[in-house]
Amino acid sequence: MSDIKKAPDGITANHTLDAKGLSCPMPLLRTKKEIEKLKSGEILEVLGTDPGSRNDIPGWCSRSGHEYLGEKEDAGFIRFYVKKK
Amino acid sequence: MSIGEKFNEVYDSFFKKTWSPMTGGILLAFLAILMVEWKRPWGIVGGIRNWADWFFYGIGFYTEMPDHPLYHSGSMMDMGLLAGAWISAVLAREFAFRVPPMLEIWKGLIAGIFMGLGATLAFGCNVGGFYSAIQNLSASGFTMMIGLIAGVVVGLKYIYWEMEHFTPGPAGPTFLGNLPPFLGWVAIIGLIAAGYAYTSSEVEGAKLMPGYLLIGAGIGFVFHRSRLCMVNGFREPFMTGEAAMGKAVAVSIILGALGIGLLKFTGLRGTDLYVETAFGWGSLVGGFIFGAAMVVAGGCGSGSLWRVAEGQIKLWVVIISFALSNSLFRHWFEANEWMGKLGSAVFLPDILGYGGTFMLVIAAMFIWYLVIDWNEDSNALVIEM
Repeated sequence: MSDIKKAPDGITANHTLDAKGLSCPMPLLRTKKEIEKLKSGEILEVLGTDPGSRNDIPGWCSRSGHEYLGEKEDAGFIRFYVKKK
Repeated sequence: MSIGEKFNEVYDSFFKKTWSPMTGGILLAFLAILMVEWKRPWGIVGGIRNWADWFFYGIGFYTEMPDHPLYHSGSMMDMGLLAGAWISAVLAREFAFRVPPMLEIWKGLIAGIFMGLGATLAFGCNVGGFYSAIQNLSASGFTMMIGLIAGVVVGLKYIYWEMEHFTPGPAGPTFLGNLPPFLGWVAIIGLIAAGYAYTSSEVEGAKLMPGYLLIGAGIGFVFHRSRLCMVNGFREPFMTGEAAMGKAVAVSIILGALGIGLLKFTGLRGTDLYVETAFGWGSLVGGFIFGAAMVVAGGCGSGSLWRVAEGQIKLWVVIISFALSNSLFRHWFEANEWMGKLGSAVFLPDILGYGGTFMLVIAAMFIWYLVIDWNEDSNALVIEM
């Protein structure tokens, strides 16, 4: 199903949410809550370790209208980038 | 494109990319039917309870020796599931031990205790009490489904409340995330070798073990590849509106019910298989408790087990707590002869005939499918934070 979307190089976030160690559904719920703090057009970075987020975060973006910018692999965790609508 | 490149592409689509939930649901139904063809319906809780029984027997709390875990059908299914899911995770480089914040450990511990109670009352977790129960045409599967849905709403409200009042502390380390994928292939060879080893065993029932182990491994592999999750199927319609998992589970139940129902109809399997004395308050209340707890746990019976194989420590806590609690509750209930008083054993074709039963299963799953699909656009069921 899902090809992994890579985030563009040099991307910078306005805000970071640490969801490392959390498992489904907490990373997505915390992302939903956190994005309320951003202004339209700002970028939220979510740090996570649950591979399920690779489906959950892009899926939620496509339904909620936020733009999913992609992910970056880091040492032992993944950085996900979401641009607020 | 050369044949070599094509090979890589096909390999990636089978072993690296996530399958769609519907692919997982259809394959799961196929494997659930195979399990009944082999011998008995697929379940989760019987196996992990066997392991917990050994713990309580080992510390001298139980006097009766439990079945040997290597010759116990449920235990072998669960070991197969763990192996299959681990193989999938390693091949896709998604295995790693992930230590959660303390708050998550506590949630897993407490949710596991309630899951153990719920699965005792309902004669099984979401698999034995709901998924396999409906496929085996037991009325109790439907009452558990009602309980599960109500419980999931309560569990979700708890999580929302928790988010307002608690912030999880720092996560623990993530480690062993770099296991080489060839270990997955070594494990596949090991599974096949184990299957063959049983065929020359003289122990009673040993010749049935390869099926439980290998079909169980197929189930684990399919679960992990598609990340099929029944908690997600029940929860998302109320949380984000997403319906893909729920629709996959609905289709999976229909396909399995037709396959297993026909095995019963033709007399190839006994009609009483997985028709337990749970139709009534046992499955309703058990489903409610289990449903609320599985949302807090972040995994149902099957979902917790395949996440164990992926290395998620929170789900290790859930499964251990769930198994120990279920063993104790079941032991206590059996000692008091309560298991027969939780409801009645109702085989739906005895009342509706096989045709009527198939129509009921299809209609019920179709309505669920329709409602969550409609909700995906309307978000009418979504509970706001």
